[in-house]
Amino acid sequence: MLRQDLHITDEELMLAADGELTRRHAAQVQAHLAACWGCRARMADFEGSIVDFTRLHRQIFDPVLPPINGPRSLLRAQLAELPSKPKADTRQWLVRFTLGTRVAALCVAFLISAAAGWLLLQHARLQGPNAVDSPLERGDVPNPRLTPGTTREATISDLCMAAHEEVVGQVTAPLRQQVLDAYGIQSSRADDYEIDYLIAPGLGGAENIHNLWPEPYTSRTWNAYVKDDLEERLHEMVCARQLDLHTAQRDISTDWVAAYKKYFKTDRPLHSVTDSVARLVLPATD
Amino acid sequence: MNSTDSISKLLFPATASAAPAAAPSEIEREVVDLFEQFRDPLLRYALSFGIPVHDAEEVAQEVFLSLFRHLQLGRSRANLRGWIFRVAHNLSLKRRYANQKFCDWAGHGETILKRHFDPSPNPEEYLLSAQRQQRLLAIVHALPDMDQSCLRLRAEGLRYREIATVLGISLGTISISLSRSIARLSCADKR
Repeated sequence: MLRQDLHITDEELMLAADGELTRRHAAQVQAHLAACWGCRARMADFEGSIVDFTRLHRQIFDPVLPPINGPRSLLRAQLAELPSKPKADTRQWLVRFTLGTRVAALCVAFLISAAAGWLLLQHARLQGPNAVDSPLERGDVPNPRLTPGTTREATISDLCMAAHEEVVGQVTAPLRQQVLDAYGIQSSRADDYEIDYLIAPGLGGAENIHNLWPEPYTSRTWNAYVKDDLEERLHEMVCARQLDLHTAQRDISTDWVAAYKKYFKTDRPLHSVTDSVARLVLPATD
Repeated sequence: MNSTDSISKLLFPATASAAPAAAPSEIEREVVDLFEQFRDPLLRYALSFGIPVHDAEEVAQEVFLSLFRHLQLGRSRANLRGWIFRVAHNLSLKRRYANQKFCDWAGHGETILKRHFDPSPNPEEYLLSAQRQQRLLAIVHALPDMDQSCLRLRAEGLRYREIATVLGISLGTISISLSRSIARLSCADKR
């Protein structure tokens, strides 16, 4: 709290310059500024620097901005296509083929599925009972000593204002390197891992080393894509008030694989290895 | 109607006839209006991550297509400016990472400044002004990423609550970050 006999802190000066103080606090700051040359000079410095930075920011980027007309037309064209696009595309593609071709394609697909199923069954028999139990591989779960999971202060309405995927940001390069170092992973193998949040930002997870770990893309069963599905599911449940945020944070940080099994009511990931590979190869459409 | 046609209609009812081109919806118009309003600030912000101009344009397009879906799904309209910049922030970071160019934007900025600087009548003034800008640029470049983002978002006119939405940090952290950065910039003139 500001007192008349104390000088204004830099933070208070900044808040005053930006009009972010409460009315009462702003009045106190103004009263102090009126009486104190030192603080007034600092305030002038601050405001001068703000003006200089804003001017510089524009001078750097404004000259390279292309005219808006072309991009605006492009956006209009893309928007005009959007509403019917997701559903219509597949059907229009399919309808080009004759009924005979479609039936033949269905038969081929059925035969391929049957053959693949038979091969998987044979493989599972050869591997023994553990193979169908979706075993954990090295790196599937984080080291609890290095990555216990930490949260930031966030309310449910903050977290639910956007879809889960909109909340997830990219981990910065220095932080990514710190996590790889902590887990003793050589840089040459860094691309095999997603530096993932144990408690996702969409569930209030914090962006720090205690909440990040290198999750292998290469795991055949419990990989980064499967965990993404769990995060999305928990985010939806929390926002629909079907699940308490604290419970979601605790379950995902304690044992995310067990949490997946619990919330998807399954012993193995719903997406197959093939799905995960497809997601690696194909660009996201949404 | 033959049997092939009837099966086709049964299987693919929506494709039986092509829909006529529709007039722009209310949401489309709203999104285009917001594009006109925020496209330049968004491009400047995306460019500040060191990504090329065409990547920044693609980020802007992607942001407004996402905004269209967001509004179409009836999601929250509170703090739309913060939402737009947050999506742009995340996409720009991804672009930068994907390009594997942790581009020296300060260097990029210096080049642009040299190219576009309007020389003042007096060569001495020009030199002083250019030197001062290089100093400011060097200070900004030396700031942590989050502090740089706070500064740029504030320079684009975002309020603290909106910056908090974009960067996922508290209001207190924003005021500390901004005051620290501005104090450093103020020192540039005293050297």
